[in-house]
Amino acid sequence: MHSFYNFVSGPLAWIAFLLFIGGSIFRIGRMLVLVAQKEPFIFTYMSWRYSFRSILHWIVPFATVNWRRQPVLTVVTFAFHLCLLAVPVFLLAHAVLWEDSFGIRWWSLPDTLADTLTVIVILGAVFFLVRRITRPEVRFVTSASDYVILAIVSAPFITGFLAYHQWFAYPLMMGLHVLAGDIMLAAIPFTRLSHMIFSPFTRAYMGSEFGKVRHARDW
Amino acid sequence: MAEPSKQEKTAVVDDGIDVGVSRLTEEKIQSVINSVIDNETGVRLKTYVETCIHCGLCSEACHYYLSHDKDPHYSPVGKVKQTIWEMIRKKGRVSPEFIRQAAIIAHTQCNLCKRCAQYCPFGIDIAYMMSIVRRIIHRLGVTPLYIQDTAHSHSVTMNQMWVKGDEWPDTLQWQEEEAQAEIPDLRIPLEKEGADIMYSVIAPEPKFQAQLLYQAAVIMHVAGVDWTMPASVGWDNSDMAMYTGDNEIMGRIKRAHFETAERLKVKKIVMGECGHAFRSVYDMGNRWLGWSMPPFTIVHAIEFYYDLIKAGRIQIARKFKPPVTLHDPCNVVRGAGLGEKARYVAHALCETVIEMYPNREHNYCCCAGGGVINTGPPFKMARVEGNRVKAEQLFETKTKGAEVLIAPCHNCHSGLEDIVHHYEIGLEIKFFSDIIYEVMEKPA
Amino acid sequence: MKTIALVALSLIIGTVLAISPVWSQDEMTVVDNTDFPNAQRPPSVFVHDRHNENAGIDDCAVCHHVYDEGQLLEDESSEDQRCVDCHYLERMGDQPGLMEAFHANCKGCHEQEGNGPILCGECHVR
Repeated sequence: MHSFYNFVSGPLAWIAFLLFIGGSIFRIGRMLVLVAQKEPFIFTYMSWRYSFRSILHWIVPFATVNWRRQPVLTVVTFAFHLCLLAVPVFLLAHAVLWEDSFGIRWWSLPDTLADTLTVIVILGAVFFLVRRITRPEVRFVTSASDYVILAIVSAPFITGFLAYHQWFAYPLMMGLHVLAGDIMLAAIPFTRLSHMIFSPFTRAYMGSEFGKVRHARDW
Repeated sequence: MAEPSKQEKTAVVDDGIDVGVSRLTEEKIQSVINSVIDNETGVRLKTYVETCIHCGLCSEACHYYLSHDKDPHYSPVGKVKQTIWEMIRKKGRVSPEFIRQAAIIAHTQCNLCKRCAQYCPFGIDIAYMMSIVRRIIHRLGVTPLYIQDTAHSHSVTMNQMWVKGDEWPDTLQWQEEEAQAEIPDLRIPLEKEGADIMYSVIAPEPKFQAQLLYQAAVIMHVAGVDWTMPASVGWDNSDMAMYTGDNEIMGRIKRAHFETAERLKVKKIVMGECGHAFRSVYDMGNRWLGWSMPPFTIVHAIEFYYDLIKAGRIQIARKFKPPVTLHDPCNVVRGAGLGEKARYVAHALCETVIEMYPNREHNYCCCAGGGVINTGPPFKMARVEGNRVKAEQLFETKTKGAEVLIAPCHNCHSGLEDIVHHYEIGLEIKFFSDIIYEVMEKPA
Repeated sequence: MKTIALVALSLIIGTVLAISPVWSQDEMTVVDNTDFPNAQRPPSVFVHDRHNENAGIDDCAVCHHVYDEGQLLEDESSEDQRCVDCHYLERMGDQPGLMEAFHANCKGCHEQEGNGPILCGECHVR
């Protein structure tokens, strides 16, 4: 009866976490090796101060010129990414699974709040989809992979939302939800979802070049 | 392709591009692209390409995009898509026609001004990627003719404008004599070993803007600067090879420049009002030669004037009357943070300074820099029409009362002349040195 | 006549429904979650007698266990106590918290036996 769920939440989840963590470490490691091998000067120009100055400006809504130029997008993207990170980590049901499996427990969100945040993620994904289709400058550079990664990211939230409310075939939805989560985790290091891993580095490097060499702001 | 295609396929005939493309074979294209990507790029290109989330947020940073009614072909990421992405995706298997288009895009639709790097949330260096495309174009022999000729001049004469060995000291002597009519004891010291400052310029100054040498000599004389200029090669700090992706020649001319300063045992190098030369000496050429930062203190004219005025070494007799506005050149403002010093100088010299918007690091490019103006007449309209937004910005500033446009960069200066002329804006364009020379106290 | 009969019937049904919780002391249908100050989910569906019949559980101590210093006391049971008497809201050392204890007791057994609900919504039915 639960064989599908047990498979996706058991062996497959292990594989997904392994791919996510191992893959992320591998990608960062390979990046650093490549820097050392081919562009070691990057280390020369990196500066903690200017890296964080730049990162700080870009992770604060409306703290950069471009965020201010795009108020709607800024609100959506910050809400989307914040909820995207907060919901899986602080969902009560997830915390219970961690507790039941490993006896570790951390703070979790009230379910009704988590439900709202999930809706925000789903609406955010819809916004990005519409933006991708309707804005010429975005559509021009859109490839099939952009839709795929958007689907990969929104699937766990859509299935999770439906499972939470027990609206359709519940046990199947739970299985699909866990499967979707597995896929998302595993995909992060190996698709352009890897911007989660790499964007702090690219931002830091540009911040360092602008701050340390060019004495200019990059926001 | 179901993509918007407002962009007219450029019918420009450029002998450098067209003849170059006619000689290409698919095998050569593939081997050159892969050789450049495998051997000359590394983690930056790879990470930039794999991290870009295709959000298009860089678009509005680009004056070409804004000037072409937001045609996505002109957005920074759109230009990346039409060039390096395809090259990487197809592992170099692209057609000669693709290379032709890539040459036009990389050389005439991007000024490498790096404004987009300030708009990309991830700080992806799109200008760098365009430089890689130019490097590929260079190695394929498809560089636009006029800028290639300039690179040839660098290679042969070690200056940008085919200035012959004797023409350089002749010009200096001529300007010295001219200036002595005004200030009899003025000298342009050549080859003065141990001087504080080596003053270096770009070759267009002796070639057709000799009055700038005159003005510089007057400023140096009045301020009592211990300066010199080299009589040999190494006097020219310009660098179009940097923009054609001819890094080897960039290295040769930068080495000559630094070694000349070393031979003259000067303390620092002061450069004229040129942006790209500053980028070459301060940022690009030094790195190619293995210096993380330049082996000499490099002082751009803006900073030099700032220091002189701040220290009271030049006095202003009467401030410049007509209201001025200040254009922030990418290479010294976004590239060296001289925006505030430029404003200090402007306010010290002029009665009224009217800001244009956007300004400082966010100023719109002149559309001439990055070697674009150096692709010459075939692409003049590409850069003028590609910068309607600059015309609008300048016109708006003019309506606020500005009459004079200060452009402390040669490329900006020339490019803005074309913009102002084409769009009939009616602003007079000046260098800082033009105004300093006009308003400073000079020996009677 | 018919009207009177309908009214009387309604009254009887209403009364029966109203006092049924009192009668159904033995007919437990959900797990009592009143000890959770801010329950996030509906109480778990749990029909006590039918469950034990289906599961073939005769020994109360299978669920209503007693531990002393980490050791299960074989012959004792705790059906006269509330779970929260030992399993506080927060975990105390090795002593699981109340929610953890419920989950371990129910879901743990279901998983072990390969039978019975293990998904959140299978017990916490909306």
